[in-house]
Amino acid sequence: MDKTLEKTGIPTTEQVESAFPPQERLDEGAVAIIECFQRIPCNPCATSCPRGAIVPFEDINDTPVIKNENCNGCTLCITKCPGLAIMVVDTTWKDPAGLDRALIKLPYEFRPLPAVGDEVIATDRAGAFVTKAEVVQVLLNHAMNKVPIVTIAVEKSLMRTVRGIHLDARQRAVVCRCNDLDEADIAAYIAGGATSIDELKRVTRLGMGPCQGRNCVPIVQGMLARTLGVPVAELSPGTYRPTVKSIALGDLAEYDSARDELGDGEK
Amino acid sequence: MIHTDLLICGAGPAGLCAAIEAGAAGANVLVLERGHAPGGQLVKQTHMFFGSEKQYASYRGFDISDILLAQMKEMPNIKLVCNTTVLAAYSDDGIWTAEIAGQTPNDKPRYEKILPKAVIVATGASEKPLLFPGNDLPGVYGAGAVQTLMNQYGIKPASRVVMLGAGNIGLIVSYQLMQAGVDVLAVCDAAPHIGGYLVHASKLARMGVPIMTSHSVKRAEGDGKLDRVTLWELDENWQGIAGTEKVFAADALCVAVGLSPLSELLWQAGAEMLYVPALGGYVPYRDENLRTTIPSIFVAGDVAGVEEASSAMVTGRLAGLGAAQYLGYDVIALEAKKEDCLGQLQSLRHGHGGRILEGIQQASL
Repeated sequence: MDKTLEKTGIPTTEQVESAFPPQERLDEGAVAIIECFQRIPCNPCATSCPRGAIVPFEDINDTPVIKNENCNGCTLCITKCPGLAIMVVDTTWKDPAGLDRALIKLPYEFRPLPAVGDEVIATDRAGAFVTKAEVVQVLLNHAMNKVPIVTIAVEKSLMRTVRGIHLDARQRAVVCRCNDLDEADIAAYIAGGATSIDELKRVTRLGMGPCQGRNCVPIVQGMLARTLGVPVAELSPGTYRPTVKSIALGDLAEYDSARDELGDGEK
Repeated sequence: MIHTDLLICGAGPAGLCAAIEAGAAGANVLVLERGHAPGGQLVKQTHMFFGSEKQYASYRGFDISDILLAQMKEMPNIKLVCNTTVLAAYSDDGIWTAEIAGQTPNDKPRYEKILPKAVIVATGASEKPLLFPGNDLPGVYGAGAVQTLMNQYGIKPASRVVMLGAGNIGLIVSYQLMQAGVDVLAVCDAAPHIGGYLVHASKLARMGVPIMTSHSVKRAEGDGKLDRVTLWELDENWQGIAGTEKVFAADALCVAVGLSPLSELLWQAGAEMLYVPALGGYVPYRDENLRTTIPSIFVAGDVAGVEEASSAMVTGRLAGLGAAQYLGYDVIALEAKKEDCLGQLQSLRHGHGGRILEGIQQASL
């Protein structure tokens, strides 16, 4: 039986090879790799690229064609592709460990997120183990369409093989119990540009649950201080608004201002 | 709407002492307490207090609570209401709101508006959280929560405990766990020195409990509930040293890494705040009478800066005196009483290597 994409969902070696740019382009820096081989009515990759690196479609069913010279590997298209068919590869990364590794930036829509420094299992297009890989960056912000991008470092010889990650059962370090956010979630938002409690509140609802920030805010302030390199005293703890605990609107609506529950009847 | 001279938020050691002083001066006082009984943390302190006679040294916390409540009962101008949470302070019209819990969990809460002439915020502090893998496993507790279960509700929280934090809370709760028949496998602290009183540490050490300074938790593990705690040694930069891991078969891990002032109401009211690590976090600027930058709002106890309960009682008295004076009541021997309180604080605060004093200095107007 032919192991075709149509039968298995796994692209052939030739298809993958066709998605990669020539070696000279890889040597120049980060570039998007799009594995979209079937004509379907979908064009956000082409319409989202601010550099015109994806040739505009004549028909919405066109498959994308990359102008490699225009692509700078910004990853914007990764967060727009409903098929999660795009990754970015960077072979010019200065590997601090002095190894011969490339960066692969992958969309990862699962929880928990890995944390920077974690070792994850890098898998191939069939989900099989390829190698262990170090997580170098985890990014998430409000502009990313809820698509976290996990950057892993893998041996350059494996960069055409690796296409996914798999996390070992990870014990979560929980930051916010009310809204179920762990250290990796918050770290990803901070890496994605968040610099204050109020910003994080708006994107994650951190501090807006029953505890009203008593558990999460001190932890997140510590994380912000370490990442931004400023003392906690210089960070805002966020805005405190009434009330100090959650209350039901319906109960408030029933409030009778003439009543005097606590006093001695003096209205 | 309720009108009162003085609203006191919280009936812990600070709030009770504040009520007693302001009540004695003649003020009408409304004390609102979130818990089902007054006394705050005092009621679960089964150990004898330090300090001097004036702060009831050698009495146990729960006995001190009874003494203060008996004094308060003598004064009909003080009204204490429990099961009631002060919810909010509205700076535009000076109204405060409170939620009165129902009699049973199925009853709806009720709400009340209060227009006080002055307020003493004595809300206390909450336990600081700690970030580590597995920190949400059932079996990972705040040390204060364990103390509540054990000493207030009579529930044995676990059989084998690892205590994180060798400050006074970690040391005292460890000792009380031993008294309740719980094994304390180790007390560890990230700092290179024991933070709490050394006599508390020695009580544990002579019962064979190892106290491991420069150690912290690497991870907590278990299948659905805690059953293993891994500690490791920290280097001088507070980083864990690989190869120094020690695994403990524990069914509870108590986190006692300090307290943060519960200052939400002060933020809402618009008081000017300052971050002072030595006092546990954000605290309000205050003058000698514990008055904040808002003339009608005073603070007392841990919300003004985390200290011992003995200091909380004295700051409560000062705030009560200050508020009564602000309200125009003639406080008999006011200056002498204040002098006495300030003297007590001075000596209580000298016991912490000057850190508390320095912190108070920073937040003083």
